[in-house]
Amino acid sequence: MHLSDFPDRLSPMLVKELRQGLRTKSFIAVFLTLQALLGIILLTASAAATSDHAGSSISNIIFIFFSIAVLIIQPLRGIGALSSEVKGNTIDMMVLTRLSAWRIVTGKWSAIVSQSALILVTIIPYLILRYFFGGMNLLGEIVLLGMIFFTSATITAVTVGLSASGSIILRSVLPIVGLPIGAYALLMLLTFGGGIEDLVEFCALERKESWIGLSMFLAASAYLGFFFLSTGTSLIATYAENHSTLRRLIAFVTAIAAAILCSISTITDYEAIPFVFALILAPVFAVSLTEFAPLVSPVYLKFMKLGPLGRLAGLFFFPGWPSGVFFCALITIVAVIPFAINVPSYYDDDITIASLACLGTLLFPAALVNLLRMKGPQRVSNYILFGLASCILAMVLAGIGDSMSSRDFLWLFVWLPPVILAMQSSSGFSDDMLITAAVVIDAALFALLLILAQHNFRASINGIKDSLSEDNDSKEPEPTTP
Amino acid sequence: MSDSAITVHNLYRFFGPLQAVNGISFEIPHGSVCGFVGANGAGKTTAMRILASLDYPTMGHAEICGINVVHHPAEVRRLIGWMPDHFGNYDNMTVLEYLDFYARALGYKGAERRQRIDEVMDFTDLVPLADRFSNKLSKGMTQRLCLGRSLLHDPQVLIMDEPAAGLDPKARVELKHLIRVLAKEGKTIFISSHILSELGEMCDSLLFINNGRIVHHGDAESLKRSSDALGGVLYDVQLDGDPQALSDWTVLQPNIEFLESRKTGGRIRIDTEDPSKAADILSRMIRDNLRVIDFHREQRNLEDAFIDILANLEKDQNFTHAPPPIPGQPATPPPHAEVPVTVPDSTLP
Repeated sequence: MHLSDFPDRLSPMLVKELRQGLRTKSFIAVFLTLQALLGIILLTASAAATSDHAGSSISNIIFIFFSIAVLIIQPLRGIGALSSEVKGNTIDMMVLTRLSAWRIVTGKWSAIVSQSALILVTIIPYLILRYFFGGMNLLGEIVLLGMIFFTSATITAVTVGLSASGSIILRSVLPIVGLPIGAYALLMLLTFGGGIEDLVEFCALERKESWIGLSMFLAASAYLGFFFLSTGTSLIATYAENHSTLRRLIAFVTAIAAAILCSISTITDYEAIPFVFALILAPVFAVSLTEFAPLVSPVYLKFMKLGPLGRLAGLFFFPGWPSGVFFCALITIVAVIPFAINVPSYYDDDITIASLACLGTLLFPAALVNLLRMKGPQRVSNYILFGLASCILAMVLAGIGDSMSSRDFLWLFVWLPPVILAMQSSSGFSDDMLITAAVVIDAALFALLLILAQHNFRASINGIKDSLSEDNDSKEPEPTTP
Repeated sequence: MSDSAITVHNLYRFFGPLQAVNGISFEIPHGSVCGFVGANGAGKTTAMRILASLDYPTMGHAEICGINVVHHPAEVRRLIGWMPDHFGNYDNMTVLEYLDFYARALGYKGAERRQRIDEVMDFTDLVPLADRFSNKLSKGMTQRLCLGRSLLHDPQVLIMDEPAAGLDPKARVELKHLIRVLAKEGKTIFISSHILSELGEMCDSLLFINNGRIVHHGDAESLKRSSDALGGVLYDVQLDGDPQALSDWTVLQPNIEFLESRKTGGRIRIDTEDPSKAADILSRMIRDNLRVIDFHREQRNLEDAFIDILANLEKDQNFTHAPPPIPGQPATPPPHAEVPVTVPDSTLP
């Protein structure tokens, strides 16, 4: 009556998830359907092997089905990964073992990713068979498969991380919004334009741009994956476990590295700079400005041991949203550096307006969440939902503007930062006016958040000091929750 | 090693304006079984979660075997076994796989892991269920599985939150038996329940919590004595005819309180122990045309004692003119509303 299906050296979480996951109907259905479809397609293609395009057609079909399986279906399975444990009250029982919250989250993630890997491995024989049809760029197709798999791992990290928030709305919105967008993007990428051929050529690594592009893609995927897994970890960990300091440090180092690379003109496509920083800052803002983590004595004391430097570091790196606001202000300053340095070479109003509007779009939902004094781990999901809602509202307003003779009424909604992006795309607004409006709104949002943060930061520091002194001296309590 | 298995000192836990735990202090000696009693929302689960290092106190401290639960949660987790009040089981996982996962998670490897799983399955009688899916078990079996899981690392202290809730009588008896065996093995057990009679049978001491405050700590007998001191004797009265007549009649009688209606009568409290007064009351009932067919004194049980203590506390608090709480700030408890914690000699280390 003993189990010997998995060796001891494997992570307990991975063993558990594989035992459960390999029996789930969704995985079995995806796996068998994919095999059946690919088998039928190859047989059909063999029968029509005289066609010149048989090989590339097989490649296209393999990539489409593989992408649907690992970029849409597998990541969607992560949406319930941690929420089911939280809802079932089993997360507490796991936390009480020697498993750290990080191992629990990565175990969940690695189980889904290893099932995706299983699907990847089963694709390879079909690719080898496809080789006989000729015209195959072997390295390009293998690297492209790897990229799709890597993207799948990143999207899975996003869904697994966010699943810890337990927000039913977010878990419903993700598939509703994500599925059509993902399916549409796949369809566009694989059937129109250059299609798979261009991607395969890019992945063949014959050009310097391919190496740079792939390296940046891998770095961005790793950063996003880590960030969301770490966020999920914070949401299920006890308050004494501090994961946010490491997360912020990594974001800070990444931002500095990006600022240096952009400042020394490694990136020649200047329009990519706002995109790079949006990628770095968006997850940082979403998590740091909403993080619900009361400051507790074990975490506080670790900082205090470092003396004045620790106190200064605490201002930016303590867990919780009040220090998160200070940290976001700091990282924004870092992000502005390359713009400031390179102003003469690529000063462009469009880039400035877009960057300022994006910054406001990231700050606006945080201001709402904190003004409404939302509590608990759902703050981050509320942030995302508010952000999505404000973008949708801006699109609706832009649509109304298109149907009217004048878009001037959009000035009434300029306080909603995504509206500035809609106004930018219209020719009726002066760039200077838009820049001024965006600067004023961003400054107002930052000022509001800083005021709220300063008040709560002081309250939590006072609370923790009271709590520490209470160990020796019994007196009436003050709440420490920011 | 610390003198007490569990030490709680001046523990507070606030959720915004809600004071879930409001300055509780108590000690539980090694090897004893302590029942934790209180109504829903009294603060039992919050206090137990803090002890299990799953929640964080707003103020105060708690220790397991002398180790602070906030500063050293990892060490505390090696010492405790935790049974939550409700939990879900995993889909597509057998009982054996469930225990295997937790044994791996607790760091057991190879033969040692297999041995621990065997021991726990034998103890909780889970061997016949080894290949059953864990989410297809009955409530009683699930509780045995949960107990088995919490015993895998042979903890010194077991914290059990409402383990008997929802169990049928047979499963309840089985669970009680297992707890008795564990107590005999010298484990410290901190167990919460609504069923006071069961706790009274198996606990060395009982800890009563109300509105986040400890209102009594002592053994079952000391609880009854405290309640007796509040005065009154309980009588069961059975009538031939409309049982409503009894409650109508008691409304007009001084020194008699109608406690609860029963199928053919009701339960009353007379505020004196003098038997002649009871005889007088019976005479008055008959004189007032109540057709009494049974009138006998009832033994006061733990539920009565608990309700008496709560009623008395409520009475005291009505005389307390506490200042209104400031919006957004927790109310400060008046010092004289604190009920002193009494620890019986038998439970002292």
